[in-house]
Amino acid sequence: MSAARPLALAALLAVASCGGPGGPEPAPDRLDLGSADDLSGFARATAPIPLRFPEDHGPHFEYQTEWWYWTGHLADGAGRAYAFQFTIFRRGLSPGPPPAGPGLRTNQVYFAHLAITDERGDRHVFAERWARGAGGLAAAAAQPFRAHVDDWEATGLDAAGAVRIRARHADFGLALELAPQKPPVLHGDRGLSPKSDEPGNASFYVSLTRMSARGRIRLDGREFEVRGESWFDHEWSTSALGPEAEGWDWFSLQLDDGRELMVFVIRRRDGGFEPASGGTLVERDGTTRHLGPRDVLVQARAHWTSPGTGARYPAAWTLRVPSARLELRLEPLVADQEMRTSIVYWEGAVRVDGQAAERPVAGRGFVELSGYHAPMQGLF
Amino acid sequence: MLPRTLLATGLRDLLRRPLHTALLVLGVALGVAVVVAIDLAGDSARRAFVRSADAVVGRATHVVLGGPSGVPVAAYRELRRHGSVQAAAPVVEATAVSDTLGRSAVRLLGVDPIAEGPFRDHLGGGSLRAPGFGRLFTEPRGAVLSATLARRHGLGPGDALSLRVDDRRLELRVLGLIETAPDRAAALDGLVLLDVGVAQELLGRGDRLTRIDLILAPGASPATIAAGLGPGLRIAPASEQAETAIQLTEAFHLNLGALSLLALVVGMFLIYNTITFSVVQRRAVFGTLRLLGATPRQVFALILAEAAAAAAVGTLAGEALGYVLGQGAVRLVTRTINDLYFVLAVGDVPLTAGVALRGALLGLGAALLAALPPALEASRVEPIAALRPSTYESHARRLLPRLASAGALLALGGGALLAVTDGVPAAFAALFAIVLGVALAVPLLTATFAARAAAPMGRVAGALGRIAARTVERSVGRTGVAVAALTTAVSVTVGVSLMIASFRATVVNWLELTIRADLYVGAPSGGGVRATPAIDPQLPARLAALPGVEAIETLRRVRIASEVGEIALGASDLGAAGAGLYRFAAGSDPDPWARVGQGALIVSEPFAHRHRLAPRGASVLLQTDRGRVRFPVAGVFYDYSTEEGLVLMGRATYERHFEDRAVSSIALHAAPGADLDALASQVREVAAGRTLLVTDNRSLKREAMRVFDRTFAVTHALRLLAVVVAFVGVWSALMALHAERTRELATLQALGLTPGLLRRLGLLESGLMGALAGLLSLPLGALLAAILVDVINVRSFGWTMELRLEPGLFVQALAVSLAASLLATVYPLWRLSRREVAAALRQE
Repeated sequence: MSAARPLALAALLAVASCGGPGGPEPAPDRLDLGSADDLSGFARATAPIPLRFPEDHGPHFEYQTEWWYWTGHLADGAGRAYAFQFTIFRRGLSPGPPPAGPGLRTNQVYFAHLAITDERGDRHVFAERWARGAGGLAAAAAQPFRAHVDDWEATGLDAAGAVRIRARHADFGLALELAPQKPPVLHGDRGLSPKSDEPGNASFYVSLTRMSARGRIRLDGREFEVRGESWFDHEWSTSALGPEAEGWDWFSLQLDDGRELMVFVIRRRDGGFEPASGGTLVERDGTTRHLGPRDVLVQARAHWTSPGTGARYPAAWTLRVPSARLELRLEPLVADQEMRTSIVYWEGAVRVDGQAAERPVAGRGFVELSGYHAPMQGLF
Repeated sequence: MLPRTLLATGLRDLLRRPLHTALLVLGVALGVAVVVAIDLAGDSARRAFVRSADAVVGRATHVVLGGPSGVPVAAYRELRRHGSVQAAAPVVEATAVSDTLGRSAVRLLGVDPIAEGPFRDHLGGGSLRAPGFGRLFTEPRGAVLSATLARRHGLGPGDALSLRVDDRRLELRVLGLIETAPDRAAALDGLVLLDVGVAQELLGRGDRLTRIDLILAPGASPATIAAGLGPGLRIAPASEQAETAIQLTEAFHLNLGALSLLALVVGMFLIYNTITFSVVQRRAVFGTLRLLGATPRQVFALILAEAAAAAAVGTLAGEALGYVLGQGAVRLVTRTINDLYFVLAVGDVPLTAGVALRGALLGLGAALLAALPPALEASRVEPIAALRPSTYESHARRLLPRLASAGALLALGGGALLAVTDGVPAAFAALFAIVLGVALAVPLLTATFAARAAAPMGRVAGALGRIAARTVERSVGRTGVAVAALTTAVSVTVGVSLMIASFRATVVNWLELTIRADLYVGAPSGGGVRATPAIDPQLPARLAALPGVEAIETLRRVRIASEVGEIALGASDLGAAGAGLYRFAAGSDPDPWARVGQGALIVSEPFAHRHRLAPRGASVLLQTDRGRVRFPVAGVFYDYSTEEGLVLMGRATYERHFEDRAVSSIALHAAPGADLDALASQVREVAAGRTLLVTDNRSLKREAMRVFDRTFAVTHALRLLAVVVAFVGVWSALMALHAERTRELATLQALGLTPGLLRRLGLLESGLMGALAGLLSLPLGALLAAILVDVINVRSFGWTMELRLEPGLFVQALAVSLAASLLATVYPLWRLSRREVAAALRQE
């Protein structure tokens, strides 16, 4: 299946309605299903719970939304730089695991995103897959770990976090083996990461902030042996965003001094930020320090408007963590790393330079900007 | 060519004689109305079908189909990953009868909301963002349907929706309504949408789909994709099924269309008669016009212009009347299609440009054609001759033999056409040629018979009888046409009635032969004979174990792919004992049933006809779950259940080649002396919880005959219209006749013919005409029946039936002819008797 699919799905999702080829389209049918989905019965992230691995690398069907997110920076033998994103999203339509049956009956919908950034080619290619969680079309399971949408898959995620990921669309794709270099990081309070002041508006959030990556990527139908570093996020929640939240700016940075920094800022409709915004600083030895909203300063230095969707995104940042004496400047590898999928967002590779305690520091990272095209309310 | 003043003369003449003009308009209007009504019904049915097929197939380019047990989900899984497949969507489909939606048949469509986007717009705004979207997946009985359909039956969100599918009852709940643009509402009519997983679970389909819809990448090769599918699966263009279904009804529509044309032909007699009358009456006018310098061509054009003007009004009226009749006809046609072919909901019956144009062209064309002979006649009027009394009759009499010879040639040509062609349209053309040919000879026959009738009528009714017979003979230019019109109408009626009677008798015989078991168990379905309801395969064994059951037989009906397209396949577990249930056509294997036991097929007569299979030595390639297998054909059996044709195999052969184990119907033979009512209630007990119909032998036959009779409801209606047109024809002929004989009748009255005697004379004349038409229509009707039964039915449907010449129908035909002609006399006579003798005499 090819690029026509994400477009058509976009139409289905009514996020951006795309007409068929040529001619004025008749008014589309409108299906009125009345009231909103019933969230009762889904568990909420209200208090920390002991997380165990590999069990908690697997799906949490009692929560509505879950994702497994791999990003990374790679280089081939000739030193050409690439970046990738591979994500599997799970959406529970009712609490609990899907019914076991031979057919397609299910309460789970999965979708997956794949993107490759080619720095030298100044381009970013992406694709999307959707499937219901039944009939072997898409699924997630803990032991042995496998999360997949069609033949896009992540397999063998062990207790430490090693994993194989594989996805291909038309003439691009990837097949990588990722090995953790640090233990899992539990963000927030033992993995409970609040997104607003209201109890329950939170997610469980686990990361592997530095993994070595090796394998092959495919671009324009050609394959390249690559090596590099990767970052893994696993997050699950039920209606995590507060009622005023519009979207988020999220940063994952790997510094060449052996530290990693995760920062998220949740933007409110009134132009302010959720006080729950913050982040985590991971030391060289893997110890972590929680950062509160006052610990992080994020300043956008430039903006970029998508010619595809008209959404206007911040496009370069200065990020300060005064308590850690960090001052970092972030620049996208490629300006257009917008994911024009059924949910439109900007997810892109950035290069980092700046000072850490007055000494120069450099690094690489990923930035995710959501809610700039349409509010994320109700989706997360 | 035609000066305006001249044209004005003609048109004013139309206004000056309103009755004459009304007849002319009526002749066109009736013919056009019947043609338009039938065309409209067929056209609406076809468009409704295309629309509903579009709603179900959507923008798919291809579909993957399997055997009777469907397509496994695993195939869908693999196709999603195929590089040449742009989009794929799983579909589960079933035909259901809905008690909530007015006991109508609906299509249940199970789809995957997140795979639908590229294919269909029904779930248009549905999205993870849309409130309640997830309920499509999670509600175990949730369904959505079009707001129009729901409102018509007073349904709203949250209401229960009760359906019967196969042998199950489904209690669904309306989750939401689909609001759609008015022009697309009809497409969604009769459609109930569910999540594909919910549909699989409710219908007990396990991991099976009905089909997979595909959008292939441009340039992708379906054959390559098909090669990667399992042996029982195939890939077909998305339009294939719709085309097969439309082709199925083509013969049905063609036959109806041809019958409707007959009404127009009868209407042509009326037009001819009326215009001829007006030409004769206006001879003096034409003569004067010629003296004033009008050329023969101008006179010719004048008559045609008059006819065209009247025909234009008649066509308009006919279109309007046809539109009204069409609303009724579409109901009859749809019911037949639902009975015989497939579920169809015809939402609206608009008069489309195509139908209107066809009606207008036929109406104007027929009118001008019918006006041609009188127009020629008028143009030949010499300026001098025109001022002399009418030479029409003498001219007509001279023409009679020539007309009859032409008719004979035409009829012979028709016969030759029948002999050398094998198509259905050619057969109808031949039928028309024969009818017209005979009609052309009718005036000569009328003159001959009327002359011979003078003596016997004189003996019975005295001088009045002789005068009546002579009048009919002498005015044969007028009476001959009326008799011809009546003969045509009545013979068509006789022919069609004989055909239906023969067909009916054949079906009754066949039902007696094949419906021999005492009780029949089946699932109610809305899909006509094309439906393939599935009954729990455990049920037959449980029924066989009932005390009082001597033996059971099962039949499984499915639709599968073959080298000749999609076909109906039956799997029967009849042993050699049941062989007597089937009668085989000549040339079949001496013991076909024994060969069926060895894996051969038998095919029904329409199937053999449609696909040109010989009773012996033929073979058919079928797509089975094990791949494509060629089966030998052991014989051709008579079957009238479906014109599409049926292929029958033994149950054991079926189970060797297909995974499906369900049955579609079960026949029970009771032990001798068993109480059938008690047995039926025992059967119902065993089948409790399932929506099965338990029918006894007699009710089943009755139901079959009810469907049969319903099928011919349109035909009956058409027949009636032909008689109405003929009646008007006789009426107008008599009016013309009396008008021409004004002086003669006045003279007779002056000589003492009382009004009573005058009426008697009129009745004798029209009685003679009616009797002549009745007598002539008997052989012609029988001939038409023979052509319909032995040629057209065989060519259209492949059915052999025995022609039955029911004497009752002939008596009826005579009665109808007499009644029509006598009834038609009433008004002309009443008008005649009001005339003043002196004034009438002065007029000449």
